[in-house]
Amino acid sequence: MTRRSIRLALLLALGACTEQTTAPGVCPDFCPGGQISVGDTIFTDVIHRDSAFSGYVEGFQGEALPVTDLPGVVDSRAIFRMNAMFTRVTNKAGDTTTYPITVDSARLRFDIVHRDTNATNLWVKLYRLPIDIDTTTTFAQLVPSFTDSVVDSVNLSALLSEPLIFDTATLRIWGDTIQTDSAGHILQVGNTDSTLILYVDLDTTQTRFVEADSGKVAFGVRVAGDSLASIALGSIDGGRAARIQWFFTYPDTAAAPKDSSALRAALFDSFVLNPPTPPLDSNLAVGGVPSARSLLRFTIPEVLRDSADVVRATLILVPVGPVPGAVGDSFEVVAHPVLADLSAKSPLGGFIAKHVIHVNDADTVRMEVTDLVRSWAQDTTAATALMLGQVPEASSYSQIRFYSTRAPAFRPALHVTYVRRYVFGSP
Amino acid sequence: MTRVFVPLAALAALALATPARAQDSQFGLRGLGTPGRSESVRARSTGGAFAPFDAFSPLLEASVADVRRVSAGVTGGTSWRTLDFGSQSASLRASRFPAFMIAGPISRRFVVAGGFSTYLDKSFGITTRDTIDVRGTPEPVTDAVTSDGAVADLRIALAARVHRRLALGVSLHGLTGSTSVTAVRHFDDSSTYRTSTARDEIAYHGLGGSASALFDLTSVLRLAAWVRSDKHLRADIRGRTVADADLPFAYGGGVQWRPGTEAVLAASVAWRAWGASGLNAHDTFNWSLGTELGSAASPIRFGVRGGQLAFGPGPKAPTEFGISGGIGKQFSGGRGRLDFGLERLERKGTGLTERVWTFLLGFTVRP
Repeated sequence: MTRRSIRLALLLALGACTEQTTAPGVCPDFCPGGQISVGDTIFTDVIHRDSAFSGYVEGFQGEALPVTDLPGVVDSRAIFRMNAMFTRVTNKAGDTTTYPITVDSARLRFDIVHRDTNATNLWVKLYRLPIDIDTTTTFAQLVPSFTDSVVDSVNLSALLSEPLIFDTATLRIWGDTIQTDSAGHILQVGNTDSTLILYVDLDTTQTRFVEADSGKVAFGVRVAGDSLASIALGSIDGGRAARIQWFFTYPDTAAAPKDSSALRAALFDSFVLNPPTPPLDSNLAVGGVPSARSLLRFTIPEVLRDSADVVRATLILVPVGPVPGAVGDSFEVVAHPVLADLSAKSPLGGFIAKHVIHVNDADTVRMEVTDLVRSWAQDTTAATALMLGQVPEASSYSQIRFYSTRAPAFRPALHVTYVRRYVFGSP
Repeated sequence: MTRVFVPLAALAALALATPARAQDSQFGLRGLGTPGRSESVRARSTGGAFAPFDAFSPLLEASVADVRRVSAGVTGGTSWRTLDFGSQSASLRASRFPAFMIAGPISRRFVVAGGFSTYLDKSFGITTRDTIDVRGTPEPVTDAVTSDGAVADLRIALAARVHRRLALGVSLHGLTGSTSVTAVRHFDDSSTYRTSTARDEIAYHGLGGSASALFDLTSVLRLAAWVRSDKHLRADIRGRTVADADLPFAYGGGVQWRPGTEAVLAASVAWRAWGASGLNAHDTFNWSLGTELGSAASPIRFGVRGGQLAFGPGPKAPTEFGISGGIGKQFSGGRGRLDFGLERLERKGTGLTERVWTFLLGFTVRP
């Protein structure tokens, strides 16, 4: 036998070392003696020391400005102040001599980022506000301005029913199709989403360019409608701040008036509402303005650490009552793992569960927190707590309240499905 | 020294490259495992009949008494197994190195041998489908339980030819090994239910002893007898004993007849008292008959075997019947030998028929 054939035989033998050892089990005769069994338990006593905290995000930090008029429920109004404007210009490059501008009109743009498509006869009303509005401004302080300083009104429902204008001149000027009404309001749909962009032309009586104020102006927005009068405007923090384009003239080198324009964005925006978000109580609050969050601490049962593998975990929360608001509206509650339990100021991880809360609905909330509970069961050093919050925060007047552990009959609970530890070692 | 060491080291490396395991069987699933065969390829090709007389079959220690030079042998095999449960079937494939043996004289009379063989194979994989009720909803699941490992029989043997016609031997057996076990439950609705996986490592320990004798009745007729007693097999998980099973007392014998220079016939029997080893265990009786024809340099072998399996469901032990054949080839002036074998087995028991083809390869060096 040659050396080559010996090597070939050995190679063949080693090459056959691929295995297929898994067969269908015909139980019980031809299956291992152990059984994979599932347990399912609602742990009602694993959550403790739960608390609600408020003040995380204020209204002026929100990603949207809710504007709502729901009699008996809430009246929410957006407010914003535009950035200062220059009042003098030079008419020749390199010249240091400046000339006053003469403002003849302005065009205000704001984005409607959220609306109820079932709303009827929905009016958007623009008001002139004092330029000293700030983060401390209250609903009551602005009642006079919102009563007698209406600047313009737009019937959004009617405007949406207007035909699309798409002639070449319109497309050249506006870059896209528009809808317009007899008052000259312009409506566009955002290029990348379904945001409505509303342009309102204002003359000098509607928006007063006051040189002493450096051209700063402030506006407020209300809505009215036959039903579902609820929208949300884009905000500075949401990257969709209101903008105003000032149209003005100034003398050119021949002293003839020369047309020009300048764009200014909102420097401050917020919203005021009535009634304000109620103060915290013994329940677990989530959402509202300023935003509230609720911290839930857990004690992982020993059975889940030693003798079981969690395959599903559901957090059960019972709302105190339905969330008041516009019919058809909703918001999201999310759960974040707490990285270190520092109470209200605990650092949080990325959200691991979310649930859509439908307004006027008091159904029990169930949030899937499987991965989090699995990690808690395996990592005994982890902070076993989670924080419930609203997304986005402080962009809605809506706040949900859940029963806490102080209400034994409705306290939050953890529903866990687990696979019991397989018993190895016996046939 | 180098000429001796290199081939032996290569053999040992080859044998240790893969866990020592025998061809497994579904019949061993509900028992301690599948008992291994203490047979070289030469013995296996003769149905196991030559095992009591073959120095490289780790069955009898007395048979190494005639090893006058350091020698080593390794056995490897690949099996293709089909399972027929009646309602469903499956095909499996596995490769094993079930035996390694090295022996050499330490004095004019005494020979010492060592090595390992498979005592219990514990490798298997099972998948089952089911639908369970979870939170009031039926959920389809797939369970997979796998075990990978074996209990090896580490043997140190001492043999001596005490008389021209009589050779005796004794062995101490250390039973050791481990299995890596997993149990996985996978839910079809994997977005809602996570897959559960449990893993563990089971270590096994046990002790045993054996003694054997070879007696030449005439110059052409040789008799063999052996007896072996193993103690408990303890199973530990992370240092905690989870099972303690009785191991069998076993005995057997054989006869070898050499009617000519190029013909050898042998027969052997063995009894093993596995019945006390727990659930689904049975006492077994096995027999074999085989022949080796041709010159010692390139013999051809045939054999037939039958008997019972140690584990299987039901009150009656599953049965086994097999035929085998093979060839051998010496090379390098008899310093090395390659053995090839092919075996066909059929095992029958309550609810299952197993059919196995096994290709065997053995390598022996005598540097």
